[in-house]
Amino acid sequence: MPEIVEKGEEFDVVTYFLQLLDNDKDMSSGIAAIKTLLMILEKKQFGTIHILHTTMREAVAAMRNTDLSIAAIVSAGELFCRFITLSLDDKHMEECRQIMLHRGKIFLTKLNNSRQVIAQQAQRFICDGGRILTHSRSRVVLKALITASKNKKSFHVYVTQGGTENSGDEMIKDLKAAGIECTLILDSATGYVMESVDFVMVGAEAVVESGGIINRIGSYTMGLCAREMKKPFYVLAESFKFSRLYPLNQRDLPNEYKYSRKHLNDVAKVHPLVDYTPPAYITLLFTDLGILTPSAVSDELIKLYM
Amino acid sequence: MREQPLKEVTQLIHAIKVGMVEGSYSITNKTLDIFKYIIMSKSWQNADELMRIVRAQSRIMQAALPQETVTSNIARRILKLTREEFDLLHAKIQHFADDSQASLSLHKLVTQTSESNVSVDYSKPQQGLREALLDHLQEVETELETSSENICVQAEEHIHSSEIILTLGHSRSVENFLKRAIKKRQYLTIIVAECAPSCRGHNLATKLANDKTVDIIVIPDASIFAMMSRVNKVIIGTHSVLANGGLRAACGAYTVALAAKHYSVPVIVLAPMYKLSPLHLCEQDAFNMVGCAEDVIPYDSLPAREAKVYSPMFDYVPPELVTLFISNTGGHAPSYVYRLLTELYHPEDLEI
Repeated sequence: MPEIVEKGEEFDVVTYFLQLLDNDKDMSSGIAAIKTLLMILEKKQFGTIHILHTTMREAVAAMRNTDLSIAAIVSAGELFCRFITLSLDDKHMEECRQIMLHRGKIFLTKLNNSRQVIAQQAQRFICDGGRILTHSRSRVVLKALITASKNKKSFHVYVTQGGTENSGDEMIKDLKAAGIECTLILDSATGYVMESVDFVMVGAEAVVESGGIINRIGSYTMGLCAREMKKPFYVLAESFKFSRLYPLNQRDLPNEYKYSRKHLNDVAKVHPLVDYTPPAYITLLFTDLGILTPSAVSDELIKLYM
Repeated sequence: MREQPLKEVTQLIHAIKVGMVEGSYSITNKTLDIFKYIIMSKSWQNADELMRIVRAQSRIMQAALPQETVTSNIARRILKLTREEFDLLHAKIQHFADDSQASLSLHKLVTQTSESNVSVDYSKPQQGLREALLDHLQEVETELETSSENICVQAEEHIHSSEIILTLGHSRSVENFLKRAIKKRQYLTIIVAECAPSCRGHNLATKLANDKTVDIIVIPDASIFAMMSRVNKVIIGTHSVLANGGLRAACGAYTVALAAKHYSVPVIVLAPMYKLSPLHLCEQDAFNMVGCAEDVIPYDSLPAREAKVYSPMFDYVPPELVTLFISNTGGHAPSYVYRLLTELYHPEDLEI
């Protein structure tokens, strides 16, 4: 166990993390994770980079242990750790810490802004009188749709219920509040409405190295249907969701992604929470780095983790 | 204040509209001449002013000729050139090495140290910018001039003796490409789909048939599918290449691509770099253009009174149907187009 000199009061990673998410329902768990890690950097003092690294990794592990979907936490955590190693110079430890804190804040403001950037990019694709199918609730899709509605576009959105959590209901509520026409449909009605929509627009919990996505269960079905009916399948995702995974099929996804923690011991009889949509089914990804084709994602990841 | 077009710009727009200048090569060339004239003129004092003029003129051309994406492409090239030259000269004076990549990336997102993104102030006057720009413009001109030749030299790699090649309509790059292949290879059969109603395929057939060593077969567009089963390779030109690797090509190209897919025939698209546009297929209305309907049904014929007649000019071909792009820099897969685009243009210039 590495030695950490505590500054001031005891700082509990998990409580802080959950509190962040509780205070702002609109915050993504990935951003909350980065905020928490930055907080650790600020609150604690580290003798060596190695200790810092271990602490960060432990913090990420602790956050993974919460009941939230872990995809974004893992990718954001990994991005943050990468960010620490990239900032290394032969400077004094305290100096390094200051640089990291400074950079971290810039990084965070950029990330906070990313949803806005993505929403802006999607505007040209949302046409007046269009019909859009979306899956369950995604904050970035919601933002894009609301922005389009504010730009005086009128369109109709079909929202699927989104599995057992019924987060589609919430999405419908939010859309109605923004004055957007919408219809709640059953997950199993995806095929039925597909012929009448112009395109599909979904969010993602993680974007993997192949350019495919991990998202709420049912996204893959939607991708398959969209491909069969030749409808474009657009994904909206912030760049901190890019993760270093390369799943080959559904079974290949790690169990921690697919099941909630309490079911991990016996997964034979529970439903998975997420599925993997291969890149072949995705038309374009809208990210804060620009509009990318699936093959551009791996390029971005290679550039960072080279 | 609305920007006024330069006299040269108005002339070019007019010339293109009445068909005096046609073909994307000549349009690109003429556009480049105008930008060269702008750079040489004394109307700008610093990079910022120059970029504003280039943008304004390009926007005017874009509005007047929404289908000719090459004009905006060449403007983007000039803008990127200006940025690069400015940065280079700037760096020389300031003595700091700027290794930051122009494009946004995860890497940059993580390592960024300064608050603001746009740290470069282009409005500072810079000695020697004009000369440096003209120097580099020469390179762009040379690239443009040699692009056709550079594509042609790859003909041998792709076309082999006694192959059956199918093409559509009349593209200048395809014409030169096939001519080179005919010179180097024996017993070629070239099938040309006529591309009604303008039937420009006939022109291509005449030009290729000068050489007696090759079999030229002209077919109506309706028989594309029937002929496809015996074809070894499809080689077509395109109007422009979109950001996802899809094509905006002459009407009939989608038919050809689908038939080729059905019979698993490779589709090779000749596209010099200046045809690469950072655009996506989203504004459906602006995508196509309707041509003259007289060729479809003569106006004085009986059915013309009753029927509605359309003659769309373009087809969108999705990237999945394209096997390979051949540009002046070599062969590229459609999934690689985004990469070429990031190298070719600055991300801030995607929207002019």
